[in-house]
Amino acid sequence: MRKSFLFVVLAAMLALAVIPAFAQETVDVPVWIAFTDENRLGWAQDRAVEYNEMFPQYNVTVEGYANYEELFASTALAAEQGTLPAVVQYFEVATQDARDSGYFKPIAEAIGDRTDINGIAVNFDDFVGPVREYYTIDGVFTSMPWNTSSAIYFSNMTILDAAGVDTPPTTWAEIDAACELVMALETAPEYCWTFPNHGWFFEQWIAQQDEQFANNGNGREERATEVSINNDGSVALLTFLDEQLAKGYLYYSGAQGGDSWGTVDQAFSTQQVAMAAYSSSDTATYTNVGTDNGFEVVASFLPYNEVTGWTGNLIGGASLWLVDGLSTEVEDGALGFLLSINSTENAAAWHQLTGYIAVTTSANELLTEQGWFEENPNFSVAADQLAQSTITTATSGAIIGAFPSIRSVVTQAVDTALLTDEPVADVLAAAQEDANTVLEEYNLLNAE
Amino acid sequence: MTAQAPLLIHVIAALIGAVYLAWRFQRIQVSPALGGMIGAAAGAVGSAIFMLPLNYCTFESERSLIDAVFGVLLIGIGMALVVLPVDALIRSVVMRRRNPNMGGTAQAGAFKGWLLPIVFLAPTLIVLTLFLYYPSLDTFRLSTLLARLGARRTLFVCVDNFTSLVSDGDYLNSFVITIFISAAIVVLGLALALGIALLAYQPIKGARIYRTLLIWPYAISPVVAGVIFLLLFNPTGGIVNYALDNVFGIKIGWLNDPTAAPWAVIIASVWKSLGYNILFYIAGLQNVSKDIREAASIDGANVAQRFFSVVLPLLSPITFFLVITNMTYAFFETFGTIDYLTGGGPLNSTSTLMYNIYEVGITNNDLGKAAAQSIVLFALVIGLTVVQFRTSGNRVNYGA
Repeated sequence: MRKSFLFVVLAAMLALAVIPAFAQETVDVPVWIAFTDENRLGWAQDRAVEYNEMFPQYNVTVEGYANYEELFASTALAAEQGTLPAVVQYFEVATQDARDSGYFKPIAEAIGDRTDINGIAVNFDDFVGPVREYYTIDGVFTSMPWNTSSAIYFSNMTILDAAGVDTPPTTWAEIDAACELVMALETAPEYCWTFPNHGWFFEQWIAQQDEQFANNGNGREERATEVSINNDGSVALLTFLDEQLAKGYLYYSGAQGGDSWGTVDQAFSTQQVAMAAYSSSDTATYTNVGTDNGFEVVASFLPYNEVTGWTGNLIGGASLWLVDGLSTEVEDGALGFLLSINSTENAAAWHQLTGYIAVTTSANELLTEQGWFEENPNFSVAADQLAQSTITTATSGAIIGAFPSIRSVVTQAVDTALLTDEPVADVLAAAQEDANTVLEEYNLLNAE
Repeated sequence: MTAQAPLLIHVIAALIGAVYLAWRFQRIQVSPALGGMIGAAAGAVGSAIFMLPLNYCTFESERSLIDAVFGVLLIGIGMALVVLPVDALIRSVVMRRRNPNMGGTAQAGAFKGWLLPIVFLAPTLIVLTLFLYYPSLDTFRLSTLLARLGARRTLFVCVDNFTSLVSDGDYLNSFVITIFISAAIVVLGLALALGIALLAYQPIKGARIYRTLLIWPYAISPVVAGVIFLLLFNPTGGIVNYALDNVFGIKIGWLNDPTAAPWAVIIASVWKSLGYNILFYIAGLQNVSKDIREAASIDGANVAQRFFSVVLPLLSPITFFLVITNMTYAFFETFGTIDYLTGGGPLNSTSTLMYNIYEVGITNNDLGKAAAQSIVLFALVIGLTVVQFRTSGNRVNYGA
C-alpha cells in the first residue's frame, strides 16, 4: 500500500517535471498596447488566443497600459533595462522618438522579400492610401497600422432639432450660430459644446487652416529644429475658443491630455452638452450612448475656420512597432500576429467594434458589401474626411522630437488662454518659446 | 578660469574653517592652534565635496553671476557638512573626558566586537543602500545633467538645472501652492479631527461603531480618494454641485476654476487623513486625566476654559506629532489625490512641488530638472523638520 502510494507520487512528480519541458517549445511573443478597456484590450487578447490556437508554436500575450503616454514612458524604461517586448503600440507623435531610439525595426525590413509569414500573406498594397503613406517613413513601410482615426464632430441631433438646427455645423461660425439657438431653448443643456484639451485637437485645427506645426517641412524633410505654434491659425483658434467660453457655449473641464477624454465622454453622454469634438475611435460608443439614452447622434467632419477654409485633417491613432534585435522565431511570431490582426475579417471587425477606420481596401469592400456603411453612416465619416483631405505639408502632420512633452506645453497654453485674460498672442508666443526649449534640448541629446 | 582658482577656493575655505574652529576651541579651553589645524583640514575637505564632482564649473568665466553665487553657496554647505560635525564630535569627546560620569556608562548592553552588530544590521543596510542611498546619490549626479529617458546621450550642464529654477515662474508658483495647500490641510484637518474626536470619545452607546465608521477613510488609498472626489466634484454631473445648485442656487467650478480647484484637493485630502487624526486625538483625550479636569471644574472653570486651558495643552504632544505627520502627508502623499482629481490643473493651480517633479520628470521626461527639483524639495523638508523640532518642540507639554 505504502509502496504504491510512493510510486504514484513519484510518477506525478515525473509528469510535472516533463510537462514544462514540452511547454517550453512555444515561443513567447509579448505585445504591449495602450488600452485597458474590455472592448479594445479584450478584442486584441481574443485575437492573440485565436492566433495561438492556429500556431501552437507561438504564445502571443497582449498586455494593456493605461494610455499612450504611460506606455511610451514604460517602453523607454524597459529599453533601459533590456526588457522590451516583441511589439509595442506607439502613438503617431512618438514617431521621431521611435526613430531616434533605435528600439524598432521597420516591418518591411523584417519581412524582406517574403510574400508570406507562416502562410499569412503579405500585401502592403491592400492598405488604404493615406494610411500606407502615413506609416511609410523614409520610403520604408515602418510600423503596422492598427488603430487609425481622425478628429470628428458628434452632435446630439435630438437637441439640435429642437433648437431648429437641421444639420451639424461644418464651420466655427456655424457652431456659434447653432449654439445661439441651442442655448436659447427652454430646456437648454448646461453648455453647448466641448472638446478634449488634448494636443491633437490643436494640431487638427491648425492643420485644417494649412498651418505647419514645425519647421523643415513639418519635420518631414529634415529634423525639425523649431516649432511654429504661434501662427495666424492658432491665434484664430484660441480666440474662437476663448469667445465660445466667454459666451457660455463652450464647456472646458480643466482636464488636459490623456485625462481630458473622459470628461468629454461624461458631458456628452449625460447631455450636458449638445455637441462634442472627439476622436473617431469612439464612434461606436458615442453612437450607442445616444441609442441607449434616447437621443440621436450624428457624426460629421470636424468644423473648420470659415475664414481660411478647409485644407484637410490629420491621421491620428497609433501603430504597432516591431522591436529590433529579436530572435528570428520571436520576430516571425510577431510578424504573423501583426499581419493576422489586419486580415480582412479582423480589420473589418475592429472598425465595427470601435470606429477606427478600416485600414485595408479589402475590409472596406467587405463592409460595403454587407451594407454596413449604409446602415451606419457615422462610421464612414472619418475615412471620408481623410480621403477628401488635400495632402499638404501641414496636413501630413508634424514629425518632431519630444512631441509628447511639446503637447503638454500646447495644452497648457490652451488652458491659459481659456482661463486668464492674457492676450492669446502672448500666450502662444510664450508657449512657442517653451516648446522650442524642449525641442532644442531633445535635439541636443538625440541628433546625430 | 585660471588654474590657480580651485587652489584659491580651498585655501580660503581652509582659512575660514581654521578661524572658526580655533574660536570654538578657545571657548572650551582647548588649544586654538589644534583647532586651527583641524579646522583648516575640515574646511578644505568640505569645500571640495561639491566642487570636485562639479569640476569647479560654477566659476568658469562664461557662466553667469547666479551660477557663481550658487557655487559659493554649495561650498558653504559642503563646509558646514564637515566642519560642524567635526566640531560637535570633538566637543563631546572633550566634555566626556572632563566629566566621565556624563552619559558615559551606557556601555552595559553594547556589543563587544564590531562584526556581530554589522551582521545584524546588514539586511537593513543592504536594502537601504540599494534602494535609498544609491538612488539618492545618483539623483545628485542626474541633477547636473541634461537627460531624457531613451535619449542617445546626456550632457553635463553644471548647475543650470538649479539656477534655472530661480526664474521659472511655474516652479515658484508651485512653492506658494504647496505652502497654501499644506497649511490648509494641517489646520483644517487637525481642527476638524479634534472637534469630531471630542464628540466621539464621549462614553455613549455604540461609541465603538461610530469610531470605526469615522476612521475608515484612512484605510483608503490617496488614489481612490481622488477618484471618489472626482465623481463628487465633477463640475457638470457631480453630486456636490447638484446639491449646491438645489440648496443655494450656485455652482462651483471645482475642477476647472483655478481658485476653487485647490480647495477640492484640500477637502479630499482632509477627508482622507481625518480618520488617522481622529484616532490619535481620541487616544489623547482618553489619556487626559479626569482628576485634573475635575480639579479645574471645582476651581470654577467653565467648559470652554477647561478645554482651552487644560485639555488642549495636555494634547500638545499629540498635536505636535500630528502636525509633523500631516505636513509630511500634505507634501508627499497628496500626489495620488491630485493626479486623479485635477492633474495639477487648471492653470497649474494644484501643481504642488511634488506633483511638479512628476510633471517635469515623467510627463515631460526631463530627468535632470526633475532631479534638481527633488533635491531642493529634499533640502526643504530637512529644513522644515529641523525648524519644527527647534521651535514647537520646546513648547510641547509632555505632561508630568
